[in-house]
Amino acid sequence: MCQRSTAGDRLGAVNRGRRLALPVCCAVLTLWCFGASAADSRVVPYAGSRGSATSLTRTELRDIFFARQTKWPNGDPIRVFVLPDRHPLHVRFSKEVLGVYPYQLRSTWDRILYSGTGVPPTVVNTPQEVRERVDEAPGGIGYAEE
Amino acid sequence: MMSTTPRSIARVLGAVTSLLIGLATPAHAIDLGFRDFQIHGFASQGYTHTSGNDFFGNSQDDGSLEFTELGLNVLGHPLPNLLFAVQGIYRDAGGSDKEDFRLDYANFDLSLPVRDNVTLGIRGGRVKNPFGLYNEARDAIWTRPSVLLPQSIYFDSLALREIELASDGGLLYGRFAFGDHALSAELVASDPRANASGATDFIVGFDSLAFRGTNNAPGSFEGRLLLVGRAGYEWREGLVRLFFTAVDFDHDFESSSPTFPSGNAKVFAPLISAQLNLEQWSLTGEYLRIDTERSGFTPGGVLLENTSESYYLQAQYRFAPGWSALARYDALFLNIDDHDGSASARLSGLPRDRFFAKDLTFGLRWEFLEDWLVAAEYHNIDGTAWLSPIDNPGINNPAQAREVSDGHWDLFTLMFSYRF
Repeated sequence: MCQRSTAGDRLGAVNRGRRLALPVCCAVLTLWCFGASAADSRVVPYAGSRGSATSLTRTELRDIFFARQTKWPNGDPIRVFVLPDRHPLHVRFSKEVLGVYPYQLRSTWDRILYSGTGVPPTVVNTPQEVRERVDEAPGGIGYAEE
Repeated sequence: MMSTTPRSIARVLGAVTSLLIGLATPAHAIDLGFRDFQIHGFASQGYTHTSGNDFFGNSQDDGSLEFTELGLNVLGHPLPNLLFAVQGIYRDAGGSDKEDFRLDYANFDLSLPVRDNVTLGIRGGRVKNPFGLYNEARDAIWTRPSVLLPQSIYFDSLALREIELASDGGLLYGRFAFGDHALSAELVASDPRANASGATDFIVGFDSLAFRGTNNAPGSFEGRLLLVGRAGYEWREGLVRLFFTAVDFDHDFESSSPTFPSGNAKVFAPLISAQLNLEQWSLTGEYLRIDTERSGFTPGGVLLENTSESYYLQAQYRFAPGWSALARYDALFLNIDDHDGSASARLSGLPRDRFFAKDLTFGLRWEFLEDWLVAAEYHNIDGTAWLSPIDNPGINNPAQAREVSDGHWDLFTLMFSYRF
Protein backbone atom coordinates (compact mmCIF):
# COMPACT_ATOMS: atom_id res chain seq x y z
CA MET A 1 0.00 0.00 0.00
CA CYS A 2 2.60 2.48 1.06
CA GLN A 3 4.87 1.52 -1.79
CA ARG A 4 2.12 2.06 -4.30
CA SER A 5 1.44 5.65 -3.22
CA THR A 6 5.17 6.36 -3.07
CA ALA A 7 5.48 5.13 -6.63
CA GLY A 8 2.59 7.41 -7.65
CA ASP A 9 4.30 10.38 -6.10
CA ARG A 10 7.40 9.77 -8.15
CA LEU A 11 5.40 10.56 -11.29
CA GLY A 12 4.96 14.13 -10.00
CA ALA A 13 7.54 16.49 -8.60
CA VAL A 14 10.13 14.37 -6.85
CA ASN A 15 10.78 16.75 -3.97
CA ARG A 16 7.15 17.44 -3.31
CA GLY A 17 6.51 13.75 -3.60
CA ARG A 18 9.07 12.96 -0.95
CA ARG A 19 7.54 15.49 1.36
CA LEU A 20 4.06 14.17 0.71
CA ALA A 21 4.92 10.50 0.78
CA LEU A 22 4.16 9.97 4.44
CA PRO A 23 0.89 11.91 4.66
CA VAL A 24 -0.35 10.39 1.39
CA CYS A 25 0.60 6.98 2.61
CA CYS A 26 -1.29 7.49 5.85
CA ALA A 27 -4.34 8.93 4.08
CA VAL A 28 -4.49 6.09 1.58
CA LEU A 29 -4.01 3.56 4.34
CA THR A 30 -6.75 5.16 6.43
CA LEU A 31 -9.17 5.23 3.51
CA TRP A 32 -8.34 1.67 2.68
CA CYS A 33 -8.64 0.49 6.26
CA PHE A 34 -11.81 2.28 7.18
CA GLY A 35 -13.03 2.86 3.64
CA ALA A 36 -16.29 4.68 3.16
CA SER A 37 -18.83 2.17 1.96
CA ALA A 38 -20.56 2.83 -1.34
CA ALA A 39 -23.96 2.39 0.28
CA ASP A 40 -26.33 5.36 0.16
CA SER A 41 -27.61 4.89 3.70
CA ARG A 42 -25.89 6.08 6.83
CA VAL A 43 -25.29 4.15 10.01
CA VAL A 44 -25.82 6.24 13.11
CA PRO A 45 -25.85 5.62 16.84
CA TYR A 46 -29.39 5.17 18.11
CA ALA A 47 -30.52 6.06 21.60
CA GLY A 48 -34.31 6.04 21.22
CA SER A 49 -36.12 8.72 23.16
CA ARG A 50 -32.78 9.98 24.48
CA GLY A 51 -32.38 11.18 20.90
CA SER A 52 -29.09 12.94 21.36
CA ALA A 53 -26.90 9.97 20.41
CA THR A 54 -25.95 11.51 17.07
CA SER A 55 -24.21 14.37 18.89
CA LEU A 56 -21.81 12.01 20.67
CA THR A 57 -18.22 12.28 19.50
CA ARG A 58 -16.30 9.29 18.17
CA THR A 59 -14.24 9.23 21.39
CA GLU A 60 -17.40 9.14 23.52
CA LEU A 61 -18.91 6.41 21.33
CA ARG A 62 -15.72 4.34 21.62
CA ASP A 63 -15.77 4.70 25.42
CA ILE A 64 -19.36 3.48 25.42
CA PHE A 65 -19.05 0.61 22.91
CA PHE A 66 -15.74 -0.62 24.34
CA ALA A 67 -17.59 -0.77 27.70
CA ARG A 68 -15.33 1.71 29.49
CA GLN A 69 -18.05 4.26 30.14
CA THR A 70 -21.01 2.78 31.99
CA LYS A 71 -22.86 5.90 33.14
CA TRP A 72 -24.53 8.78 31.25
CA PRO A 73 -23.72 12.32 32.41
CA ASN A 74 -27.16 12.47 34.12
CA GLY A 75 -26.26 9.38 36.18
CA ASP A 76 -28.33 6.80 34.29
CA PRO A 77 -26.64 3.45 33.65
CA ILE A 78 -25.69 2.82 30.02
CA ARG A 79 -27.05 -0.30 28.30
CA VAL A 80 -25.48 -1.16 24.95
CA PHE A 81 -27.21 -3.32 22.31
CA VAL A 82 -25.41 -4.64 19.24
CA LEU A 83 -25.93 -7.07 16.35
CA PRO A 84 -23.86 -10.24 15.85
CA ASP A 85 -20.22 -9.68 14.85
CA ARG A 86 -20.68 -10.50 11.18
CA HIS A 87 -23.97 -8.60 10.65
CA PRO A 88 -23.37 -6.04 7.84
CA LEU A 89 -24.79 -3.20 9.94
CA HIS A 90 -22.48 -4.07 12.84
CA VAL A 91 -19.48 -4.18 10.51
CA ARG A 92 -20.42 -0.78 9.04
CA PHE A 93 -21.01 0.81 12.46
CA SER A 94 -17.64 -0.49 13.70
CA LYS A 95 -15.71 0.77 10.70
CA GLU A 96 -17.57 3.91 9.67
CA VAL A 97 -18.65 5.30 13.02
CA LEU A 98 -16.18 3.93 15.57
CA GLY A 99 -13.28 3.64 13.12
CA VAL A 100 -12.26 0.17 14.31
CA TYR A 101 -12.44 -3.38 12.98
CA PRO A 102 -15.24 -5.51 14.44
CA TYR A 103 -12.69 -7.99 15.81
CA GLN A 104 -11.20 -5.26 18.03
CA LEU A 105 -14.58 -4.87 19.74
CA ARG A 106 -15.03 -8.62 20.03
CA SER A 107 -11.60 -9.21 21.53
CA THR A 108 -12.14 -6.46 24.11
CA TRP A 109 -15.60 -7.78 25.00
CA ASP A 110 -14.28 -11.33 25.38
CA ARG A 111 -11.37 -10.12 27.50
CA ILE A 112 -13.55 -8.17 29.94
CA LEU A 113 -16.13 -10.96 30.08
CA TYR A 114 -13.70 -13.76 30.91
CA SER A 115 -11.55 -11.67 33.24
CA GLY A 116 -14.44 -10.17 35.21
CA THR A 117 -13.55 -6.57 34.41
CA GLY A 118 -16.60 -5.35 32.49
CA VAL A 119 -19.97 -6.19 30.99
CA PRO A 120 -20.05 -6.72 27.22
CA PRO A 121 -22.97 -5.33 25.19
CA THR A 122 -26.11 -7.40 24.78
CA VAL A 123 -26.19 -9.07 21.37
CA VAL A 124 -29.59 -9.18 19.62
CA ASN A 125 -30.46 -10.66 16.25
CA THR A 126 -32.09 -7.94 14.13
CA PRO A 127 -31.84 -4.16 13.64
CA GLN A 128 -35.52 -3.99 14.63
CA GLU A 129 -34.67 -5.71 17.91
CA VAL A 130 -31.86 -3.23 18.57
CA ARG A 131 -34.38 -0.36 18.31
CA GLU A 132 -36.92 -2.15 20.51
CA ARG A 133 -34.43 -3.00 23.25
CA VAL A 134 -32.96 0.50 23.22
CA ASP A 135 -36.45 2.03 23.42
CA GLU A 136 -37.34 -0.20 26.37
CA ALA A 137 -34.14 0.22 28.39
CA PRO A 138 -33.56 3.44 30.26
CA GLY A 139 -30.09 4.54 29.20
CA GLY A 140 -30.08 2.24 26.16
CA ILE A 141 -27.92 2.83 23.10
CA GLY A 142 -27.37 0.92 19.87
CA TYR A 143 -27.20 1.83 16.19
CA ALA A 144 -29.50 2.04 13.21
CA GLU A 145 -29.51 2.63 9.48
CA GLU A 146 -31.12 5.76 8.14
CA MET B 1 -5.94 -43.76 26.60
CA MET B 2 -9.43 -42.69 27.59
CA SER B 3 -11.14 -45.42 29.57
CA THR B 4 -14.89 -46.00 29.39
CA THR B 5 -15.74 -45.11 32.97
CA PRO B 6 -19.17 -43.84 34.07
CA ARG B 7 -17.55 -40.45 34.54
CA SER B 8 -16.29 -40.20 30.98
CA ILE B 9 -19.66 -41.39 29.67
CA ALA B 10 -21.37 -38.72 31.74
CA ARG B 11 -18.97 -36.16 30.36
CA VAL B 12 -19.65 -37.13 26.75
CA LEU B 13 -23.42 -37.18 27.37
CA GLY B 14 -23.17 -33.75 28.96
CA ALA B 15 -21.26 -32.40 25.99
CA VAL B 16 -23.78 -33.87 23.50
CA THR B 17 -26.71 -32.47 25.47
CA SER B 18 -25.28 -28.99 25.63
CA LEU B 19 -24.47 -29.25 21.93
CA LEU B 20 -28.09 -30.10 21.05
CA ILE B 21 -29.50 -27.42 23.33
CA GLY B 22 -27.08 -24.94 21.86
CA LEU B 23 -28.01 -25.75 18.28
CA ALA B 24 -31.72 -25.51 19.01
CA THR B 25 -31.57 -22.11 20.70
CA PRO B 26 -28.86 -19.71 19.55
CA ALA B 27 -28.86 -17.73 22.79
CA HIS B 28 -26.25 -15.03 23.33
CA ALA B 29 -26.35 -14.73 27.09
CA ILE B 30 -28.95 -15.11 29.79
CA ASP B 31 -30.35 -11.74 30.72
CA LEU B 32 -31.24 -11.75 34.41
CA GLY B 33 -33.67 -8.84 34.04
CA PHE B 34 -32.04 -6.89 36.87
CA ARG B 35 -30.14 -3.90 35.49
CA ASP B 36 -27.49 -5.27 33.10
CA PHE B 37 -26.86 -8.49 35.02
CA GLN B 38 -26.23 -11.41 32.71
CA ILE B 39 -24.98 -15.00 32.77
CA HIS B 40 -22.48 -16.34 30.26
CA GLY B 41 -20.94 -19.76 29.95
CA PHE B 42 -18.63 -21.81 27.80
CA ALA B 43 -17.77 -25.46 27.28
CA SER B 44 -14.61 -26.56 25.49
CA GLN B 45 -13.39 -30.07 24.80
CA GLY B 46 -9.92 -30.80 23.48
CA TYR B 47 -8.16 -33.77 21.97
CA THR B 48 -4.38 -34.07 22.20
CA HIS B 49 -2.10 -36.47 20.38
CA THR B 50 1.68 -36.62 20.81
CA SER B 51 4.35 -38.64 19.01
CA GLY B 52 6.35 -38.88 22.25
CA ASN B 53 5.94 -37.65 25.85
CA ASP B 54 2.55 -37.06 27.45
CA PHE B 55 0.74 -33.75 27.49
CA PHE B 56 -2.66 -33.34 29.16
CA GLY B 57 -3.08 -37.03 29.95
CA ASN B 58 -1.86 -40.12 28.09
CA SER B 59 -1.63 -38.39 24.76
CA GLN B 60 0.47 -40.96 22.91
CA ASP B 61 -1.05 -43.80 20.83
CA ASP B 62 -4.80 -43.06 20.69
CA GLY B 63 -4.46 -39.58 22.10
CA SER B 64 -6.09 -37.99 25.13
CA LEU B 65 -9.44 -36.34 25.73
CA GLU B 66 -8.29 -34.98 29.07
CA PHE B 67 -8.60 -31.34 28.19
CA THR B 68 -11.93 -29.91 29.26
CA GLU B 69 -12.71 -26.33 30.19
CA LEU B 70 -16.14 -25.35 31.51
CA GLY B 71 -16.97 -21.87 32.75
CA LEU B 72 -19.99 -20.03 34.07
CA ASN B 73 -20.08 -16.39 35.10
CA VAL B 74 -22.48 -13.76 36.40
CA LEU B 75 -21.72 -10.10 36.01
CA GLY B 76 -23.45 -6.76 36.11
CA HIS B 77 -23.58 -3.25 37.58
CA PRO B 78 -25.61 -2.81 40.77
CA LEU B 79 -24.66 0.87 40.44
CA PRO B 80 -23.63 2.45 37.13
CA ASN B 81 -19.96 2.68 38.18
CA LEU B 82 -19.78 -0.45 40.31
CA LEU B 83 -19.25 -3.84 38.70
CA PHE B 84 -19.76 -7.22 40.33
CA ALA B 85 -18.37 -10.25 38.56
CA VAL B 86 -17.89 -13.86 39.51
CA GLN B 87 -16.78 -16.85 37.43
CA GLY B 88 -16.46 -20.52 38.29
CA ILE B 89 -14.37 -22.86 36.20
CA TYR B 90 -14.04 -26.60 35.96
CA ARG B 91 -10.82 -27.63 34.28
CA ASP B 92 -9.25 -30.96 33.49
CA ALA B 93 -5.87 -31.03 31.81
CA GLY B 94 -4.38 -34.44 32.51
CA GLY B 95 -1.95 -34.67 35.40
CA SER B 96 -1.20 -30.97 35.29
CA ASP B 97 -4.54 -29.83 36.63
CA LYS B 98 -6.16 -31.09 39.77
CA GLU B 99 -9.38 -31.40 37.88
CA ASP B 100 -11.87 -29.60 39.98
CA PHE B 101 -14.23 -26.69 40.15
CA ARG B 102 -12.58 -23.44 41.23
CA LEU B 103 -13.42 -19.81 41.73
CA ASP B 104 -11.70 -18.15 38.79
CA TYR B 105 -12.54 -14.56 39.63
CA ALA B 106 -14.84 -12.93 42.16
CA ASN B 107 -14.37 -9.21 42.29
CA PHE B 108 -16.00 -5.82 42.50
CA ASP B 109 -14.72 -2.97 40.38
CA LEU B 110 -15.36 0.69 41.11
CA SER B 111 -14.40 3.08 38.33
CA LEU B 112 -14.25 6.82 38.76
CA PRO B 113 -14.04 9.06 35.71
CA VAL B 114 -11.82 11.85 36.99
CA ARG B 115 -11.98 13.97 33.87
CA ASP B 116 -13.23 13.32 30.35
CA ASN B 117 -10.07 11.47 29.43
CA VAL B 118 -8.88 10.12 32.77
CA THR B 119 -10.33 7.14 34.63
CA LEU B 120 -9.16 5.71 37.94
CA GLY B 121 -10.49 2.54 39.46
CA ILE B 122 -10.12 -0.03 42.16
CA ARG B 123 -10.85 -3.74 41.99
CA GLY B 124 -10.87 -6.17 44.90
CA GLY B 125 -11.48 -9.82 45.69
CA ARG B 126 -10.04 -12.62 43.63
CA VAL B 127 -8.71 -10.66 40.68
CA LYS B 128 -7.11 -11.95 37.48
CA ASN B 129 -3.48 -10.94 37.21
CA PRO B 130 -2.69 -8.36 34.52
CA PHE B 131 0.23 -10.31 33.07
CA GLY B 132 1.09 -9.86 29.40
CA LEU B 133 -1.46 -10.05 26.62
CA TYR B 134 -3.38 -13.26 27.28
CA ASN B 135 -3.27 -14.13 30.97
CA GLU B 136 -6.44 -12.59 32.36
CA ALA B 137 -8.97 -14.51 30.32
CA ARG B 138 -6.92 -17.46 29.16
CA ASP B 139 -9.15 -20.35 30.23
CA ALA B 140 -11.72 -19.46 27.57
CA ILE B 141 -10.38 -20.46 24.15
CA TRP B 142 -12.41 -17.53 22.77
CA THR B 143 -9.65 -15.21 23.98
CA ARG B 144 -6.78 -17.41 22.79
CA PRO B 145 -5.35 -17.31 19.28
CA SER B 146 -4.77 -21.08 19.44
CA VAL B 147 -5.74 -24.14 21.47
CA LEU B 148 -2.52 -23.83 23.47
CA LEU B 149 -1.03 -20.48 24.39
CA PRO B 150 2.74 -20.16 23.98
CA GLN B 151 3.88 -22.45 26.79
CA SER B 152 7.15 -20.59 27.39
CA ILE B 153 5.20 -17.74 29.00
CA TYR B 154 1.70 -19.05 29.76
CA PHE B 155 2.61 -22.22 31.66
CA ASP B 156 -0.20 -24.75 31.49
CA SER B 157 1.56 -27.89 32.58
CA LEU B 158 3.69 -26.46 35.39
CA ALA B 159 2.74 -25.76 38.97
CA LEU B 160 3.20 -22.02 38.50
CA ARG B 161 -0.05 -21.76 36.55
CA GLU B 162 -2.29 -21.06 39.53
CA ILE B 163 -0.13 -18.24 40.87
CA GLU B 164 0.17 -16.74 37.43
CA LEU B 165 -3.57 -16.74 36.88
CA ALA B 166 -5.20 -14.87 39.74
CA SER B 167 -4.53 -13.28 43.13
CA ASP B 168 -6.56 -12.60 46.24
CA GLY B 169 -6.15 -8.92 46.90
CA GLY B 170 -6.68 -5.53 45.38
CA LEU B 171 -5.88 -3.82 42.14
CA LEU B 172 -5.62 -0.13 41.30
CA TYR B 173 -5.87 0.98 37.70
CA GLY B 174 -5.83 4.12 35.64
CA ARG B 175 -6.33 5.11 32.04
CA PHE B 176 -5.41 8.35 30.31
CA ALA B 177 -6.53 8.95 26.74
CA PHE B 178 -5.56 11.65 24.28
CA GLY B 179 -6.92 11.40 20.76
CA ASP B 180 -6.19 7.94 19.39
CA HIS B 181 -3.63 7.27 22.13
CA ALA B 182 -4.26 5.68 25.51
CA LEU B 183 -1.94 4.99 28.42
CA SER B 184 -2.93 2.55 31.12
CA ALA B 185 -1.50 1.21 34.36
CA GLU B 186 -2.57 -1.54 36.72
CA LEU B 187 -1.03 -2.58 40.02
CA VAL B 188 -2.01 -5.66 42.02
CA ALA B 189 -1.00 -6.19 45.63
CA SER B 190 -2.08 -9.58 46.85
CA ASP B 191 -1.58 -12.62 48.94
CA PRO B 192 0.02 -14.93 46.37
CA ARG B 193 -1.57 -18.35 46.08
CA ALA B 194 1.89 -19.78 46.63
CA ASN B 195 0.63 -22.60 48.79
CA ALA B 196 -1.64 -23.78 45.97
CA SER B 197 -1.20 -27.02 44.09
CA GLY B 198 2.47 -27.84 44.12
CA ALA B 199 3.63 -24.28 43.51
CA THR B 200 5.59 -24.43 46.75
CA ASP B 201 7.98 -27.02 45.36
CA PHE B 202 8.44 -24.99 42.27
CA ILE B 203 9.24 -21.76 44.05
CA VAL B 204 11.63 -23.14 46.63
CA GLY B 205 13.28 -25.30 43.99
CA PHE B 206 12.60 -28.68 45.58
CA ASP B 207 11.41 -29.93 42.24
CA SER B 208 14.77 -29.21 40.69
CA LEU B 209 18.26 -30.64 40.87
CA ALA B 210 18.97 -32.10 44.31
CA PHE B 211 15.32 -32.29 45.26
CA ARG B 212 13.89 -33.60 42.01
CA GLY B 213 11.28 -36.22 42.58
CA THR B 214 10.06 -35.07 45.95
CA ASN B 215 6.54 -33.72 46.13
CA ASN B 216 4.81 -31.19 48.33
CA ALA B 217 7.53 -29.67 50.44
CA PRO B 218 6.00 -29.49 53.94
CA GLY B 219 5.66 -25.97 55.25
CA SER B 220 4.24 -22.67 54.19
CA PHE B 221 5.10 -19.27 52.81
CA GLU B 222 5.16 -16.07 54.78
CA GLY B 223 6.07 -12.69 53.46
CA ARG B 224 5.10 -9.40 52.01
CA LEU B 225 2.48 -8.96 49.35
CA LEU B 226 3.02 -10.11 45.80
CA LEU B 227 3.18 -7.19 43.39
CA VAL B 228 2.13 -7.39 39.76
CA GLY B 229 2.23 -4.24 37.68
CA ARG B 230 1.43 -3.62 34.05
CA ALA B 231 1.82 -0.43 32.07
CA GLY B 232 0.44 -0.13 28.57
CA TYR B 233 0.12 2.02 25.51
CA GLU B 234 -2.59 1.47 22.93
CA TRP B 235 -3.13 3.26 19.66
CA ARG B 236 -6.58 3.42 18.12
CA GLU B 237 -8.29 0.92 20.39
CA GLY B 238 -5.55 -1.67 20.07
CA LEU B 239 -4.27 -1.48 16.49
CA VAL B 240 -0.95 -1.13 18.27
CA ARG B 241 -0.59 -2.52 21.80
CA LEU B 242 2.56 -2.28 23.91
CA PHE B 243 2.76 -3.55 27.48
CA PHE B 244 5.36 -3.88 30.16
CA THR B 245 4.58 -6.23 33.05
CA ALA B 246 6.63 -6.90 36.17
CA VAL B 247 6.05 -9.49 38.86
CA ASP B 248 7.81 -9.17 42.20
CA PHE B 249 7.68 -11.91 44.84
CA ASP B 250 9.67 -12.17 48.07
CA HIS B 251 8.73 -14.83 50.60
CA ASP B 252 10.24 -16.87 53.39
CA PHE B 253 9.52 -20.56 53.38
CA GLU B 254 8.97 -22.02 56.83
CA SER B 255 9.56 -25.74 56.68
CA SER B 256 7.56 -27.91 59.04
CA SER B 257 9.76 -30.95 58.53
CA PRO B 258 13.30 -31.53 59.83
CA THR B 259 14.33 -33.08 56.49
CA PHE B 260 13.48 -29.95 54.48
CA PRO B 261 15.35 -26.71 55.12
CA SER B 262 13.67 -23.32 55.49
CA GLY B 263 14.78 -20.45 53.32
CA ASN B 264 13.88 -17.43 51.26
CA ALA B 265 12.80 -17.12 47.64
CA LYS B 266 12.75 -13.96 45.58
CA VAL B 267 11.32 -13.84 42.09
CA PHE B 268 11.39 -10.90 39.73
CA ALA B 269 9.90 -11.30 36.27
CA PRO B 270 9.78 -8.56 33.63
CA LEU B 271 7.67 -9.19 30.51
CA ILE B 272 7.53 -7.08 27.37
CA SER B 273 4.58 -7.47 25.00
CA ALA B 274 3.90 -5.97 21.58
CA GLN B 275 1.06 -6.49 19.15
CA LEU B 276 0.17 -4.99 15.77
CA ASN B 277 -3.41 -5.54 14.59
CA LEU B 278 -4.23 -4.95 10.92
CA GLU B 279 -7.50 -5.78 9.22
CA GLN B 280 -6.39 -9.27 8.22
CA TRP B 281 -3.10 -9.71 10.05
CA SER B 282 -2.10 -9.65 13.70
CA LEU B 283 1.57 -9.84 14.66
CA THR B 284 2.43 -10.53 18.28
CA GLY B 285 5.61 -10.95 20.28
CA GLU B 286 6.36 -11.27 23.99
CA TYR B 287 9.64 -11.59 25.87
CA LEU B 288 9.95 -12.75 29.50
CA ARG B 289 12.75 -13.25 31.95
CA ILE B 290 12.30 -14.82 35.37
CA ASP B 291 15.05 -14.01 37.88
CA THR B 292 15.03 -16.21 40.95
CA GLU B 293 17.17 -15.95 44.06
CA ARG B 294 16.91 -18.75 46.57
CA SER B 295 18.81 -18.84 49.82
CA GLY B 296 18.92 -21.26 52.73
CA PHE B 297 17.57 -24.26 50.86
CA THR B 298 20.93 -25.91 50.33
CA PRO B 299 23.55 -26.90 52.91
CA GLY B 300 25.66 -23.90 53.86
CA GLY B 301 22.91 -21.53 52.77
CA VAL B 302 24.45 -20.77 49.41
CA LEU B 303 22.59 -18.18 47.34
CA LEU B 304 21.26 -19.84 44.21
CA GLU B 305 20.57 -17.48 41.35
CA ASN B 306 19.00 -18.31 38.03
CA THR B 307 17.49 -16.43 35.11
CA SER B 308 15.27 -18.05 32.54
CA GLU B 309 14.37 -16.66 29.13
CA SER B 310 11.13 -17.04 27.17
CA TYR B 311 9.85 -15.49 23.98
CA TYR B 312 7.59 -16.07 21.02
CA LEU B 313 6.71 -14.47 17.72
CA GLN B 314 3.28 -15.10 16.29
CA ALA B 315 1.42 -14.21 13.08
CA GLN B 316 -2.34 -14.58 12.66
CA TYR B 317 -4.04 -14.23 9.29
CA ARG B 318 -7.81 -13.76 9.09
CA PHE B 319 -8.29 -14.96 5.52
CA ALA B 320 -12.09 -15.39 5.42
CA PRO B 321 -14.99 -14.49 7.74
CA GLY B 322 -14.74 -16.71 10.80
CA TRP B 323 -11.41 -18.24 9.72
CA SER B 324 -7.90 -17.56 10.88
CA ALA B 325 -4.53 -19.21 10.42
CA LEU B 326 -1.63 -19.01 12.83
CA ALA B 327 2.12 -19.52 12.74
CA ARG B 328 4.27 -19.17 15.85
CA TYR B 329 7.76 -19.81 17.08
CA ASP B 330 7.98 -20.14 20.87
CA ALA B 331 11.13 -20.74 22.90
CA LEU B 332 11.91 -21.35 26.57
CA PHE B 333 15.39 -21.61 28.09
CA LEU B 334 15.42 -22.47 31.79
CA ASN B 335 18.87 -20.92 32.12
CA ILE B 336 19.62 -17.90 29.98
CA ASP B 337 23.36 -18.65 30.08
CA ASP B 338 22.89 -22.27 29.06
CA HIS B 339 20.63 -22.28 25.99
CA ASP B 340 21.62 -25.78 24.92
CA GLY B 341 21.19 -27.16 28.44
CA SER B 342 24.62 -28.80 28.51
CA ALA B 343 25.81 -27.26 31.78
CA SER B 344 22.50 -28.00 33.55
CA ALA B 345 22.62 -31.53 32.14
CA ARG B 346 26.10 -32.11 33.59
CA LEU B 347 24.99 -30.88 37.03
CA SER B 348 21.74 -32.82 37.15
CA GLY B 349 22.36 -35.96 35.12
CA LEU B 350 19.21 -35.22 33.14
CA PRO B 351 19.15 -34.97 29.34
CA ARG B 352 20.04 -31.56 27.86
CA ASP B 353 16.60 -31.16 26.29
CA ARG B 354 14.95 -31.06 29.74
CA PHE B 355 16.25 -27.47 30.03
CA PHE B 356 14.77 -25.88 26.92
CA ALA B 357 11.77 -26.15 24.59
CA LYS B 358 11.51 -24.71 21.08
CA ASP B 359 8.04 -25.04 19.63
CA LEU B 360 7.09 -24.29 16.01
CA THR B 361 3.30 -24.17 15.66
CA PHE B 362 0.87 -23.96 12.73
CA GLY B 363 -2.82 -23.64 13.48
CA LEU B 364 -6.27 -23.06 12.03
CA ARG B 365 -9.32 -21.72 13.79
CA TRP B 366 -12.87 -21.60 12.45
CA GLU B 367 -15.94 -20.05 14.03
CA PHE B 368 -18.34 -22.20 12.04
CA LEU B 369 -21.47 -20.81 13.67
CA GLU B 370 -21.99 -17.82 15.87
CA ASP B 371 -20.64 -18.83 19.31
CA TRP B 372 -19.18 -22.13 18.06
CA LEU B 373 -15.59 -22.73 17.15
CA VAL B 374 -13.15 -25.44 16.30
CA ALA B 375 -9.39 -24.95 16.39
CA ALA B 376 -6.61 -27.33 15.43
CA GLU B 377 -2.86 -27.03 15.46
CA TYR B 378 0.34 -28.89 14.90
CA HIS B 379 3.41 -28.33 17.09
CA ASN B 380 6.91 -29.45 16.24
CA ILE B 381 8.85 -29.35 19.49
CA ASP B 382 12.51 -29.62 20.31
CA GLY B 383 13.01 -30.02 24.07
CA THR B 384 10.88 -31.01 27.05
CA ALA B 385 11.26 -28.06 29.47
CA TRP B 386 7.55 -27.38 29.92
CA LEU B 387 6.39 -30.98 30.25
CA SER B 388 4.57 -31.93 33.43
CA PRO B 389 6.42 -34.41 35.69
CA ILE B 390 3.02 -35.71 36.80
CA ASP B 391 2.01 -36.67 33.26
CA ASN B 392 5.57 -37.89 32.60
CA PRO B 393 6.72 -39.80 35.68
CA GLY B 394 10.45 -40.37 35.73
CA ILE B 395 11.23 -37.35 33.58
CA ASN B 396 13.03 -35.71 36.52
CA ASN B 397 14.89 -38.87 37.45
CA PRO B 398 18.39 -39.08 35.90
CA ALA B 399 18.18 -42.87 35.74
CA GLN B 400 14.88 -42.90 33.81
CA ALA B 401 14.58 -39.58 32.01
CA ARG B 402 16.23 -40.71 28.76
CA GLU B 403 13.96 -43.71 28.56
CA VAL B 404 10.66 -42.02 29.37
CA SER B 405 11.05 -38.80 27.40
CA ASP B 406 11.59 -37.86 23.79
CA GLY B 407 13.59 -34.72 23.01
CA HIS B 408 12.08 -34.23 19.56
CA TRP B 409 8.36 -34.67 19.46
CA ASP B 410 5.18 -33.61 17.69
CA LEU B 411 1.92 -32.52 19.24
CA PHE B 412 -1.43 -32.29 17.50
CA THR B 413 -4.39 -30.74 19.25
CA LEU B 414 -8.00 -30.09 18.35
CA MET B 415 -10.61 -28.25 20.38
CA PHE B 416 -14.33 -27.58 20.03
CA SER B 417 -16.02 -24.87 21.99
CA TYR B 418 -19.51 -23.52 22.50
CA ARG B 419 -20.46 -20.46 24.49
CA PHE B 420 -23.49 -18.38 25.33
